[in-house]
Amino acid sequence: MRVIRTPSLASVLIAGALCCPGAALGQLVDYGALQDAVGEPVTTSVTGKPQRASELPASAVIVTRDQIARSPARDVPGLLKTYTGIDVNRWTAGQSDVAVRGGVQTYNARLLVLVDGRQVYLDHYGMTDWNLLGVQLEEIQQIELVRGPAAALFGFNAAAGVVNIITRRPAGGAYATAAASAGNKGFGRIAASAGTPLTDQLAVKLTAGRLREDERRVPADVLVPGVPDHLTADQVSGELSGRFGGAGVTLQGGYATNRQAEYLPSQLLSNQRFRSGDVQAAYTQDTDWGGLTLGGYVNWLDASYGVQGTNGQDNAALVLNNRIASVRGAGLYRLDANTTVRLGAEYRDNRMRSLSQFSRAIAYGVGSLNAMLDMHPTDDVAVTAAARIDRLALRQSGAVILPTVNRAEEFDRQFTRVSFNAAVLLKAGETGQVRLNGGRGYQLPSLINFGLRVPIAAPTTLPTLIAGRPEIMPSATWSAELAYSRALGGTRVEAGLFWTRVEDAIASPGDGLQDLLELVLTPSPVAVARFLSVGNYTTRGVEASVAGRTLGMGWRANYTFTDTNGDLAGTELPIPAALSPRSTTARHKANLELSRDAGAWYATGVARYTSPTRQFSFTTEPRLRLFHVDEAVALDARIGVRLGRGLEMFAAGENLTGAGGAAGSPIPADTRVRGGLRLAV
Amino acid sequence: MGGLAAAPTAAELNVPVAARVVSFLQPAPTGVTTVAILYSPDSPASISEAGTIERAMAGGVSAGRATIRTKRVTADTLGSLAGYRAAFVTAGLKAAYPGIAQAATRASVVTIGSDQSCVQSGGCIVGITGGARVQIIVNRAAARAAKVKFGSAFLMLVKEI
Repeated sequence: MRVIRTPSLASVLIAGALCCPGAALGQLVDYGALQDAVGEPVTTSVTGKPQRASELPASAVIVTRDQIARSPARDVPGLLKTYTGIDVNRWTAGQSDVAVRGGVQTYNARLLVLVDGRQVYLDHYGMTDWNLLGVQLEEIQQIELVRGPAAALFGFNAAAGVVNIITRRPAGGAYATAAASAGNKGFGRIAASAGTPLTDQLAVKLTAGRLREDERRVPADVLVPGVPDHLTADQVSGELSGRFGGAGVTLQGGYATNRQAEYLPSQLLSNQRFRSGDVQAAYTQDTDWGGLTLGGYVNWLDASYGVQGTNGQDNAALVLNNRIASVRGAGLYRLDANTTVRLGAEYRDNRMRSLSQFSRAIAYGVGSLNAMLDMHPTDDVAVTAAARIDRLALRQSGAVILPTVNRAEEFDRQFTRVSFNAAVLLKAGETGQVRLNGGRGYQLPSLINFGLRVPIAAPTTLPTLIAGRPEIMPSATWSAELAYSRALGGTRVEAGLFWTRVEDAIASPGDGLQDLLELVLTPSPVAVARFLSVGNYTTRGVEASVAGRTLGMGWRANYTFTDTNGDLAGTELPIPAALSPRSTTARHKANLELSRDAGAWYATGVARYTSPTRQFSFTTEPRLRLFHVDEAVALDARIGVRLGRGLEMFAAGENLTGAGGAAGSPIPADTRVRGGLRLAV
Repeated sequence: MGGLAAAPTAAELNVPVAARVVSFLQPAPTGVTTVAILYSPDSPASISEAGTIERAMAGGVSAGRATIRTKRVTADTLGSLAGYRAAFVTAGLKAAYPGIAQAATRASVVTIGSDQSCVQSGGCIVGITGGARVQIIVNRAAARAAKVKFGSAFLMLVKEI
């Protein structure tokens, strides 16, 4: 792999962030302290304003540090999969996708993922590599997932929802956590995170982790890339923070690597290798009227796709590097006791370099303005409205790479999109609440969608290319929901209806390209299949959940019904594009979690039901086909004993029932068990 | 926060939350911070609650970067509030609320209680209501008069009157 470069623009942005320090709004907030004060989790992920979990103007999940420590799950998607409205498909041992309220697909581009406000969603392909987040479970304070468009706050790609992972802050006191575990299927993991105040003003945090796990057994009729890679992932990161009166400064940096087998959006199974680095600077100022945040970050990514065997990128089908740089600022103002306004601005520059695209660099800049108004006209009514305008300017630069199937002027393109969210909350009785909310967000075409150009093997007499489409349009997501929640003693009940419509869904060319191929003279004739908008689809459904504590046992149960109406490009062979939300999204999902403490012992068990689906994969023919995935009842469990002084011994297992359909993948799920030690002081 | 007693009844001060509220003062307290327990030797309810608070805070409670300890101060010696940053107001002091408000203003002390009428009168700058759902109420005028400042994130989670 190439050495990660530090481009000049990034240097300028970093310098800008440091001289006029930069930040994420969440860093104004000590989440743990606020949770202690109000008795429930607090989040800023819905409006940018700190809010109690029970008063949010959108549907959200907050997974706390304590819940993470007790869960059988071994990663973030595993933690999210037991909540309503969420599909987690573990396509391979390392590749997971999290879909919110339908639209299950590989490389899901409609869920924006952040760590401490820094985007870890990868723009080159529009996806999240959950093993490249640069964060370990042991350092997470809480995981927040907002269901429905959150684009008015976060911009493009928070189209179906947003996940914001908040890590621990050492300023409140020293901490250290470490875990070492081993299991079947070659599982091995070590991770540690420690933070401590250095002085009354300064604090430091360091985190590192290593993970290894075998790939699952691939069915004989699935097209495999030689030998599928086993999962490996390594990560190290550091943070220095300071508080000076009402001001706070944070500097962060990290480095991570990952190699694993994955399904590409075309549904070809392929070995990938990733290497990423990031730096972030943040400044917060607490004032009598609210808070001011300024910040910036730069992410670098080297990616090699289609790596065959173990010879590294020399054999890769696609090698690219992607640099994302962002600067932003926001002010949160309390106009009076009942009204809060948030105003923000952001500029993001995103560039991809590769020899497998129109020219050496495809890039865009996005300038954004956003505003949020939160009002409480009476004790029983809350109204929230937010809007954001994003203007994107696409460009290309450097030598054009032949043969070219686009014109340079096609990349000289600008467009503007407006996203919004609105909500009304009404109190119903002492502990009840009715919420009506909705919004519109956009999924931005990825840099690959705009400018890729790679040769493929196809049953045509002409050389055939898969190519980007610079004129492709963003995909809009509309959402509306009506929900009711109520506390009955120590039991909390929530139920709701949701409706989501996705317009101009973007897909990769698949099989049966005859109808999609264009003839382009380069001057030699070549056949070109391009990324395309395949149409609209709608999902509607019901979510219900209940949680409480009885006879010393914590329990949580939920059910989701999802009806999706779109087959888009179709499901009859040959299938021209691997996108059929109706086939790939489970109609019924249910989860039941029980947990109990007994002296030094604790145990957590989760039963998960998922109805059958059909999932895409290329076969050995080769042909794109829908594979039947059985309904599944999976049991996950964790048991641990506290040995004293913060040391705990634990054993955990996922899919103990061995249900093949539990992963929601053409590659059947297996049973994974592990055991180890965990230290938390 | 460790070493705290079971959840209080609706009429008692929620001591863990009250201690956490102190940590949101600006500038944030650090090190050992002593909080006054305002009580009346003539009121059995007040004496009882003072004892409950002391037991809950026995050995000191960690809140943010401060370790909070308590010391009893009688309601007829309010002048001795000078030097404290916070005071927990016990039950049975209703008649003393005006005096407590004046003393808190003079000494720039945040007063925290569980009686809503204490917050409405300005005797308490912060009120913490009990029950299953914690609600924190801040008397904005009283806080301003006493020059008491909280972090903005905290203020966005409370009800201001």
